[in-house]
Amino acid sequence: MNRAPLITPARLCLALLLAGLILAWQTINAQLPFNYTRWIGMIFAPHGDDIQQIVVHYAILPRLCVALLCGGALALAGTLMQQVLRNPLASPTTLGVASGAQFALVVASLWAPGLLSMGREWVALAGGSAATAVVFALAWKRHLAPMVIVLAGLVVSLYLSALNTSLMLFHQETLRGLFIWGSGALEQDSWQDTLFLAPRLGIAAVLAWLLVRPMAVLDLDDDNARSLGVSLRKLRIASLGLAVFITACVVSAVGMIGFIGLAAPAIVRILGARRLGARLIWSTLLGALLLLVTDLTVQYFSVGAVTLLPTGAMTAALGAPLLLWLLPRLKIGVDRPRSSVGITLPRHAAQGRVLVILLILLIAIGAVALCLGRESPSQGFGGWRWLVPPQLNDMLVWRAPRVFTAAGAGLMLALAGTLLQRITGNPMASPEVLGISAGAAIGVIAVIMLAPLAGPLFTLIAGSVGALSTLSLLLLLNHRSGFLPERLLLTGIAITALFDALQGIVLAGGDPRGQQLLAWMSGSTYYADSATALWIVFLGVILLIATLPFSRWLTLLPLGAQTAQALGLNVTRSRLVLLMLMTLLTVSATLVIGPLSFIGLLAPHMARLMGLSNARMQLLGAGLLGALVMVLADWLGRTLLFPNQIPAGLVASLIGGLYFMWGLRRL
Amino acid sequence: MTTGVSFLRTALVLLLLLTCVNANATDNPAERIAVIDWGVAETVIALGITPLAVADTTGYRTWVDAPPLPEGTLNMGLRSQPNLERLNQLSPDLILTSAMFATDRERLARIAPTRSIDIYSADGAPYAHALAATREVARLTGHEEEGEALIACTENTLDTAREVLQAIDRPVYIIQFSDARHVRLFGHGSLIQAALDRMGLNNAWQGETNTWGFANVGIETLAQVPDAYIIVIAPMLGDTEQALRTSRIWQQLPAIQRGEVYYLPPVWIFGALPSFIRFTLLLQHALGAAVDSPIGSTAQCTTPLTPSVAATSGVPKESLAP
Repeated sequence: MNRAPLITPARLCLALLLAGLILAWQTINAQLPFNYTRWIGMIFAPHGDDIQQIVVHYAILPRLCVALLCGGALALAGTLMQQVLRNPLASPTTLGVASGAQFALVVASLWAPGLLSMGREWVALAGGSAATAVVFALAWKRHLAPMVIVLAGLVVSLYLSALNTSLMLFHQETLRGLFIWGSGALEQDSWQDTLFLAPRLGIAAVLAWLLVRPMAVLDLDDDNARSLGVSLRKLRIASLGLAVFITACVVSAVGMIGFIGLAAPAIVRILGARRLGARLIWSTLLGALLLLVTDLTVQYFSVGAVTLLPTGAMTAALGAPLLLWLLPRLKIGVDRPRSSVGITLPRHAAQGRVLVILLILLIAIGAVALCLGRESPSQGFGGWRWLVPPQLNDMLVWRAPRVFTAAGAGLMLALAGTLLQRITGNPMASPEVLGISAGAAIGVIAVIMLAPLAGPLFTLIAGSVGALSTLSLLLLLNHRSGFLPERLLLTGIAITALFDALQGIVLAGGDPRGQQLLAWMSGSTYYADSATALWIVFLGVILLIATLPFSRWLTLLPLGAQTAQALGLNVTRSRLVLLMLMTLLTVSATLVIGPLSFIGLLAPHMARLMGLSNARMQLLGAGLLGALVMVLADWLGRTLLFPNQIPAGLVASLIGGLYFMWGLRRL
Repeated sequence: MTTGVSFLRTALVLLLLLTCVNANATDNPAERIAVIDWGVAETVIALGITPLAVADTTGYRTWVDAPPLPEGTLNMGLRSQPNLERLNQLSPDLILTSAMFATDRERLARIAPTRSIDIYSADGAPYAHALAATREVARLTGHEEEGEALIACTENTLDTAREVLQAIDRPVYIIQFSDARHVRLFGHGSLIQAALDRMGLNNAWQGETNTWGFANVGIETLAQVPDAYIIVIAPMLGDTEQALRTSRIWQQLPAIQRGEVYYLPPVWIFGALPSFIRFTLLLQHALGAAVDSPIGSTAQCTTPLTPSVAATSGVPKESLAP
């Protein structure tokens, strides 16, 4: 233990700095071969006729500065958030800042382009702040408890990105520029962004430094901190507000670059920086250099490339393996105090009655989804029409597969979510967070992009291979730690980041196939036929029955590994078995309706909010709710904008998100 | 400012509208055709047929623009997910799609005979494919005569443009802005390259392109060939126009400094022959003005798609000046 560590934050930063200098030299030299007078000119005053000097002065140099500024800023914001929220998963995107900003820009582009010309950063800032305000409002009653804030932030983020995705689906060509922005492009055309960012981030850094001493108190738990006479609410608002401001500035200038904010603080902590002050300084430096080196590497490789490699997406792609490598070295959740304010819920007396009501509702909504639809204006009123058997039969061919697929997929995702939340004891858990659906999706994307004419069987195989490799990776990396919840989630996030990167690159490439990809990814039942529908319902029911016997495990696991072990549970083995079951559920659902995550996150929560608190009841209730919400969502998606169709996953996110926010308020 | 662009666009729309009114005389009312791909849709409409339904009609109006959709054509949902319930109710007797939207060929075929008409593929020869596609659509709909006329008109238009633009001896960049810092550069494999080849113009972008014939690059790439003209295809999305005013790179580009940047109204860059004609005419008028060529001196098509001298207007060179 006394051996000095080989890698320290300072050494890592030095290595990155060297790499950055070499790459920067290489980049500039490629544009403008070294020449003393021309280089002086290119730095201070480019000559109007020398286009190479101009390109270096107005495109390459500002890009270097913006990369350093944004990387440092995001890492700073990430450190602040992780400290305040006491959650190693917190990052600048956690509070909905990024998706709020993106949503504001999308809306402005479509309906009020005038606002954009007044300054896109203000639009982004307004959107980001509004989203954060909603998050704070939702968590206000709970004294801004870390877990509630993280949950509220997650839901607001997902809600806004669902809205974003639906708008992008209908306006793909119009929002092309925002796809590029959305995956973090650092290209510059003047010093404007640098001049915009530098003073704002400078002030923010000073303020952060002033907050260091009071914030160190947050290392203690709530009661101890309060006994020291610190107003926790004021402190949290101040530091989170600062982090939001920093993030909004960066997001409005260069778009979404989320991974740096998560990775830099994590790396610094692993490398041994303990005190908050040290962590702030080193993670800021590391973040700046990480983004710089990534961006220069991206530039190096994109010479002559057809497709833009957006840096934000690439940080995710490069950062994911890094995080995977770091995971076994990460000390998390062991010596950090847990927040004293957990979510405790009232217990409903009549859980059985709730289940019966849910079942009746499911059947009723299923009937509506099959019979009530809209028709062409030329045949009827162009409006709604309730069909009965003779005419219905013709329509059932198209409707029934979608209704049953929605029900089956909703059921399975809800079960997967319930299992995952109970295994990990983390309310942020959902099948998507674990990366299984992302793995399946990577396989499917590969098929859509590389072999668009391949049949559905090929897609199925590719998706399964993707999901299974993800699972193997998960097992391999987490076997030794006995599947610690936080570790599992971090692994999942790293894999999901890889998927996001891939998706970002495809969408930013402006490929017309992007729309097809978007539609599938947002959870559409469009591609379901009667065979898949039968299979998915069958599988769903079988797996539900298979899950119920594990209710004792599911009751004990959330109590924590030690308690569960003490109560006679083989923690490692039970986690492994449940994980396999969860994967099976997720893969089956994902392959049919895309990597939809909201149901898996929401249904278990909704079940608990309805008072279904024991494991068996929660499984049944969540399953029914998942099916119910998905069937309803699919029906609304098919009929609301007829003949256009909104994918069921998106509608489910919109319905479920509202319910969830309402539930959070009521807590 | 941009009003010059919209005037030019209006003139062209009116022209192409004439086409349809005239061609409708030979329409066969028995044809019930549903079209998913816009390139195929514009071909069908240019043949004088009123399609029963076209996918994403709102998008068609924005991005393809001309030939305009006939009155009675219904919307059948997004191109990636045409509404099967509606298609089933409409019971067309032919569905035309393309490889890009081929995922549900089987299910479409359960509703009506389905043909996939492909123009863009890995071999990068969209013009040849567009000719074949036109003949195929014409054959399937019994409009062979109109199909040949459309082809002849395209050839004529291209030949005329070649003559008019003989004096252009410098290369051209053909771009479309994604945002103020990123452009699509059209090159090998695109409709635009095919048109340039026929017009005898050099493309300044000789780099790699994707299956649809464009590369996504930052605007500083436009500095690589300093003596090139720059042709910008509308629309300028969001705040692009505004942002270009403060873009030092854009403002310092040699073409901007020389006033050799031209702005064209929207052209569906994944389109078929009507889009070829539209692009050719627009480019001819823009660059023709640049070299004071006698515009529209010769072209005489046998179909009413003939361009008219009236369609020209001053292309706003001063637009987006600092």
